[in-house]
Amino acid sequence: MTGIIISLLIVPLFSALLVFMIPNSRKEIFRPIGIIFSLITLTQCFYLLFSDYGKTKFVILSNYKWIQSYGLEISFGISGMSTLLLLLTSLLICVSLLSIGNEHAESKGFIGSLLALHFAINGVFISGDLISLFIFFEALLIPMYFLMGIWGGENRRYATIKFILYTVFGSVFIFIGTVYTAVISYGANGSLAVDFDSLANLALTSSQSKTLFLLFTFGFLIKVPIFPLHTWLPDAHVEAPTAGSILLAGVLLKVGAYGILRVSIPFFTEGFLAYKNFVAVLSVIGIIYGAIVAIAQIDIKKLIAYSSVSHMGYVMLGISAGGYLSIEGAIIQMINHGITAGALFMLVGFLYERRHTRNISSFGGIKITMPRYAAIFLFTSFASIGLPGLNGFVGEFMILMGSFNSYKVLTSIAAFGVVLAAIYMLWAYQRIFTGPISNEKNESLKDLDIRETLSIVPLVLLMLFIGIYPSYIESFVIQEAGFISETIALFKDIK
Amino acid sequence: MNGISEFLGINFVVIGPTLALLFTTLVLLFCTITISTPVYVKKYISFVGILITLFTIFLKFGLFARDGITSYFSEKILLDEFSLVGNVLIGLVLLLTFNSFWKTSEVIDNKTTEALILILMSASGFLLMVDAENFIMLFIGLEIGSISLYALAGLNRGDQLSNEASLKYFLLGSLASCILIYGVALLYVSLSISGVYETSIAISFIGPDNVPLTSLIGLIMVLVGLLFKVAAAPFQAWAPDVYQGSPTGYVGYMAAVAKAASFIVLARLSAISLRFILDKFDLFFTAIVILSVLAGALFATNQTDIKRLIAYSGVIQSGFILSGISFGVYGISASIFYLITYIIQLIGVFTVFSIISGQLSSDFKISNLSGLFKENKFLTITFSIFMLGIAGLPLTSGFVSKFILITNLWSYEKYLIVTVLMLTTVAGFYFYLRPIWVAAIEKTDNSIEKIKISISDKVLLGFMAASTIYFGLLPNTLVNITRWMVENYL
Repeated sequence: MTGIIISLLIVPLFSALLVFMIPNSRKEIFRPIGIIFSLITLTQCFYLLFSDYGKTKFVILSNYKWIQSYGLEISFGISGMSTLLLLLTSLLICVSLLSIGNEHAESKGFIGSLLALHFAINGVFISGDLISLFIFFEALLIPMYFLMGIWGGENRRYATIKFILYTVFGSVFIFIGTVYTAVISYGANGSLAVDFDSLANLALTSSQSKTLFLLFTFGFLIKVPIFPLHTWLPDAHVEAPTAGSILLAGVLLKVGAYGILRVSIPFFTEGFLAYKNFVAVLSVIGIIYGAIVAIAQIDIKKLIAYSSVSHMGYVMLGISAGGYLSIEGAIIQMINHGITAGALFMLVGFLYERRHTRNISSFGGIKITMPRYAAIFLFTSFASIGLPGLNGFVGEFMILMGSFNSYKVLTSIAAFGVVLAAIYMLWAYQRIFTGPISNEKNESLKDLDIRETLSIVPLVLLMLFIGIYPSYIESFVIQEAGFISETIALFKDIK
Repeated sequence: MNGISEFLGINFVVIGPTLALLFTTLVLLFCTITISTPVYVKKYISFVGILITLFTIFLKFGLFARDGITSYFSEKILLDEFSLVGNVLIGLVLLLTFNSFWKTSEVIDNKTTEALILILMSASGFLLMVDAENFIMLFIGLEIGSISLYALAGLNRGDQLSNEASLKYFLLGSLASCILIYGVALLYVSLSISGVYETSIAISFIGPDNVPLTSLIGLIMVLVGLLFKVAAAPFQAWAPDVYQGSPTGYVGYMAAVAKAASFIVLARLSAISLRFILDKFDLFFTAIVILSVLAGALFATNQTDIKRLIAYSGVIQSGFILSGISFGVYGISASIFYLITYIIQLIGVFTVFSIISGQLSSDFKISNLSGLFKENKFLTITFSIFMLGIAGLPLTSGFVSKFILITNLWSYEKYLIVTVLMLTTVAGFYFYLRPIWVAAIEKTDNSIEKIKISISDKVLLGFMAASTIYFGLLPNTLVNITRWMVENYL
């Protein structure tokens, strides 16, 4: 089992190096190599999913001495939530490798950066201590920097620097939190150990717990992103290349919520109880604000970016409600949003490759020329809105139901987000696809070819599968959600 | 050898590295003024000289293992962990920069031997400086080292900027030396002490509370003299001009060797001389650290010349290293780790510059890097690794050094300094990523043509980049070494 976990790091890293080694003359094999290696990782994730650790709470499986004289160790482990997110990552890497146009697929830098990103994301989800979590959290930035910087849009310099500075600013707080935890741990255990096992046994005073919760959560919330800290996201999405957007929306946003669920809540529960209302208010503002701003967008990518702000608001609402059902819903919503947002960005990417514009007003009536594309887009929009029977409904319903007990008013307001989602998605659909063809450039658009269809179909099938049979995916997170909500309940009782 | 030295009551092994370098310079001088020697012979002479120096450093380890911490030459020269690490560090700097300063010396017309002699001479001076127990000895070492560096900065006599650099460095440097020697004099006047250990003994004898103001001022003056050499603010004004104007091939050596030696001496002063009164210097050090990182970050943000950018980044790094040195023994070990990793990155950056811009160039704009990636992948990748290392991104040694340092500062409860340092790190990403952007990402029409890199340069750059990443992933050995350094001073 340890071998599988370590190979989740080694295989993507090796494949990235392999792609960099291959001479440019063989550029047609970059994409196959990337796909093959991400399929290998996908298989490993499936193996993990069906192993003993596929449904547990977090278990540390391997330790490595890092700095002995400080008692620092690097630990790796796995849990149900991690496995699902790892699976999502590998799947999204795989389909985005398949979906990108030839211009990107023939550049070894692009494929290599994607695979390096895969390595870093895997590292975040399997790390079993604060230090490796931080290391991989920051290491994400390097491939993203190159992906956005080299293959981004016109205004990429501004967007990239903004993205990097926002994230680094947030991670400074995580860094200081890590240092503070390590020093506290030194006082208690005589070593700076910050692995999750020793953190669970660390006795914190009330003020320490509050400070640490604020430090960690602030860093992670920037990544989520929550309402006032979200401004980097639309810029980053608009300027990033399609594959970058898919992974940014699909996985990188989840890293923030994952960090809160993994670190902030179980270890600094007292701080969580003190500040959870604040987080809940911000997330509901984010839900409504993101949705309203999305209605007004004229750029499709920006529209989906703001819809991400809205959808991640649901996740944060579920987390801050802290009940069993709402946390489970939040985890499932993370997966669902990863699938739908990834699919939407991929679809926008297809359109952009054909027309080199994302302006809604330059389309209209293109369902006549691209019927298959229109069907898939409509299906994905429904999933994103949260139509019952599709995956978006499951998570949002569970979150709203789970949080209603704790926040009656807030949850009622948040429910309007679903209506607003229907407005912005369907109105956008209407303007892009229905009616007569308004722009003559759209008359010769080609429908999706086999490669593009193949890359979107797995995501569509997953939306349907999760929508129809949600208890299957739920079975993987029951224990973890139970563990987190019990920790919260335990602290509530003590108080 | 051992028998003779014991008979004479002195042990030449202790100053072996200094002597070896001096001897090498004498041989070079002899070759130049008597017989006409081919250039490559001089290269081998100086290289063999450096190897002998490294061997004598190795011998010092043997001596240390036998005798432990000992004073030699009637308490003038000290053999302890600091001097050993300092020696190794300076040896390492010589070895890593040999290729670039040799090439620079080769193209500088008619001054090849002069340049080599200056470099080896300055290294011997700085070796003497880290070995010194007596403050006068320290001053002598510092002056031998610095004066050679002043000359080195202005060696490219046809270039105005080079002349300016040399003059500025000389004027400000001598002022700093004056301050240092004045501080030594004040110490001698007030407590009649002139040594590292004497100071701590005298202070513990009269009690930390009864230390006369004169000697405190004297100590601060000594510190200021040393802080000038590491370009900590507000004594940083010379650094950008000197880095910019000096021949690029020499700057890596000049920056690294002065920083290495001065920080080792500062660490020793903090661990031994000031150990009982370190809290009296709290305000002084805090002010210097905060000023350094803020001034460095502020000025680095809008530099167009990349050598100036690195100079201001050096000011920031000096602040970081100093913050560990100034508050306690574990902090010192963290700072030494920081120093070692930073020096490797610094030399790496300047090696890349000297390969790109030619060894003699003085001006080197950031825009000169544009389009580097297209034809020179190896240079760009190593350059990016060094810059990310200096910025402190995880997976590089820069992150580990920052992590250890901040952990120690936090345990000393220096929250203000931690806050300022972390904010500077964020700001740092803005200007450290810009050269990488220009070199690797920005699309440009006139990219730099393919530059031929010699095998030795490739090996050196590869080694430095590899160690930057290696210490980022597996820092255990180096951390243990730096912990061993300070174990005796707990």
